[in-house]
Amino acid sequence: MKIMLKTDNIKFSYTQEKILKGIDIEIKKGAFIGIIGPNASGKSTLLKNISKTLKADSGTVYLDHKLLNKYNSSELAKKMAVVPQNTEINFNFNVYDIIMMGRHPYQKRWSRLSQKDKKIVKEVMELTDTLKLKNKLINELSGGEKQRVIIARALAQKPDILLLDEPTSSLDINYQGEIYDLLNHLNQEYNLTIITVSHDLNLTAQYCEELLLLKEGRIYASGSAEEVLTEKNIKAVYNAEVLIKTNPLSEKPFVSLVPEVNRNKNRKRKKRNFKIHVIAGGGTAKNWLYKLENMGYQLSIGVLNIGDADWQAAKELELEIVEAPPFIDISKKEIKENKKLIKNSNLIILSDLPFGHGNLANLEILLDFPKKEKLLFSTLSIKKRDYITGKAELIWNKILEQQRNITLLKEKDNLIKKIKKLEKADMER
Amino acid sequence: MKEYKKSIYINLAALFILMLLAFFALFIGSTTINPGDIVTYLFNSSKVDASTAIIIGEIRLPRIILAFIVGAGLAVAGSVFQAIIRNPMVDPYIIGISAGAGTGVMLALFLGIEIAVFNLSSLPAFAFLGAVMTVFVVYQLAKVGNKLPVLTFLLAGVAVSFILNSLMSFLMVLRTENLQQLVYWLMGSLAGTGWSDIKMILPYFLVALAVVIFYLKDLNILLLGEESAAHLGLNVERTKIILLGAASLITASVVSVSGSIGFIGLVVPHIARMSIGPDHRKLIPLAAVFGGCFLIIADTVARTIMAPMELPVGIITALAGGPYFIYLLRNKSKNIW
Repeated sequence: MKIMLKTDNIKFSYTQEKILKGIDIEIKKGAFIGIIGPNASGKSTLLKNISKTLKADSGTVYLDHKLLNKYNSSELAKKMAVVPQNTEINFNFNVYDIIMMGRHPYQKRWSRLSQKDKKIVKEVMELTDTLKLKNKLINELSGGEKQRVIIARALAQKPDILLLDEPTSSLDINYQGEIYDLLNHLNQEYNLTIITVSHDLNLTAQYCEELLLLKEGRIYASGSAEEVLTEKNIKAVYNAEVLIKTNPLSEKPFVSLVPEVNRNKNRKRKKRNFKIHVIAGGGTAKNWLYKLENMGYQLSIGVLNIGDADWQAAKELELEIVEAPPFIDISKKEIKENKKLIKNSNLIILSDLPFGHGNLANLEILLDFPKKEKLLFSTLSIKKRDYITGKAELIWNKILEQQRNITLLKEKDNLIKKIKKLEKADMER
Repeated sequence: MKEYKKSIYINLAALFILMLLAFFALFIGSTTINPGDIVTYLFNSSKVDASTAIIIGEIRLPRIILAFIVGAGLAVAGSVFQAIIRNPMVDPYIIGISAGAGTGVMLALFLGIEIAVFNLSSLPAFAFLGAVMTVFVVYQLAKVGNKLPVLTFLLAGVAVSFILNSLMSFLMVLRTENLQQLVYWLMGSLAGTGWSDIKMILPYFLVALAVVIFYLKDLNILLLGEESAAHLGLNVERTKIILLGAASLITASVVSVSGSIGFIGLVVPHIARMSIGPDHRKLIPLAAVFGGCFLIIADTVARTIMAPMELPVGIITALAGGPYFIYLLRNKSKNIW
């Protein structure tokens, strides 16, 4: 693969403060790179150094195998286009004129617009879906439209490489996706090399092939989103507690912040001497699992299908889990393991999960523990959750008839209150 | 194409108004001249009587032409400054260039230096020197690192203006002869100007104007912001310096004959921009014509309203321009471009 851009140990400082402390990067033609990092880590400064807006104190930048400093301004503009962070234009050119300014490096003074200029401008307007805005004034546009116009102007330069500094920082989420979809399209269809700088870890992870994580003017980590976005890296660079999940659609990592009140993993709470076994599935328990864990209850859970939303939550919380492969019935072995966990617990909680062939065993198991305290969700009637023609309902009714130590939970909000009550009763016993 | 036609109509209308104004300005004055005589004079100057011919040919005509040059020059310089600084509140007067040019002229007058080189008077040269030195000082004062923040630029300009104005006042106190004439000059006046003044400033003016015209397209690119302009292949620092130099030269040449006439450089670019949009290839010519018209009107008012006494024309332009400036501040502060 051809190398588009290469930096060799670039260092940069504003007066006293060292911003870049030696950056080596190598960007292949057609790559889609996302530069991330906390405030003041030097990511915008890096972008400015490779776009010749700032001149590095030492080190070299090569663009397409030629020293960046050897390019004159119009040569560079034909090779590299930049969408800067602040694209506020406070005067009223119309969209067409603004985009046509992208042809500036190709035009001679006083020459009329060439057919080629017009053709290219029309092409980039189609590409960026700005053709319908042609005669509008720039200040009449929404943030997303404005950004598309600026990108169109950059594309009119016919660059080989496009740099964008925070392209979506001031946009709503729908426009954010729109801009990145456009960039993705340009990268895939036109083999345009793209480098973005962004605060948004998730957008960057979803779209960029390769991430560069900067910390204090150095590259801390680089590679695929999976390699770079780890809880450890984020903790080290941002000093933030996060959970990394996987976006089920794109299968890319997804970072979510853990607010201080919910930090359970890293802060060892006083454990309560009250064991709860949870029977759930289909995401019916994930919301309150975190809460219970955080309160110090000793939790176990089973039987859960691997990949299920509750399974993911339980994995994250590192609970004791009995797991089963998805799409097949729960096996005897798993039921046995589950019984072992239930035996050790003080309380069984059954969420309002739906029942089918595969997981009916999760309901039947309750029949084997007539003496255990049980907290059954009944926020949804069993009829609605029964997908095996009344079988689940039958067992449910049997449990309710035969057993006494059952608490029915009609409102989810009361969960903690009920558990506390049961815990207290258990302690008194 | 529709827009193209529109801009042609606007320009034609402006030119027509200019002709009309110039014609009216010729026969209005302390002595009213029969419009018929003017037409006769314009076609054959020997057919009107001698005194009328002198009033028209030696007094009013050069003054109208000079008013046009000065008005156009200030409007063009104002447009250029507004584009480079990217702030619609800038004019040559506000950032101290006029005061600098004025101080240059004053110093030259008071020190008795007036050397003609190659038949060109050195007065505009001194005005130019003063103007350029002011720009340099203001630029250096306002610079923060590599950047030129608009606010500090304006404040530095205002501060330097104050200093230069007090310097001029000091020079006036030192030597009180010709005081009234000097006060008039300071307030901005075209009184007593003639063909010689036009000849004096025209070379400087035309050279600087040619430079501005050469860089019209770059002005549009500069409006996008310096960083964006650089990414579009413009050599920003060089363009900025050349254009600042040219606009300073225009201002300097104009100030050297008319004194500090305020507000034209601020207000006229706005009016032109509102009529034709921000594209400098259309804006600058129209601003020039508008500026010329504006000063012809103002100067005609200045010399007729209290005839035979003359008001400094700066009073009239400030009276008209001040309220407009306030209106801009109050009403359109968001979207004045």
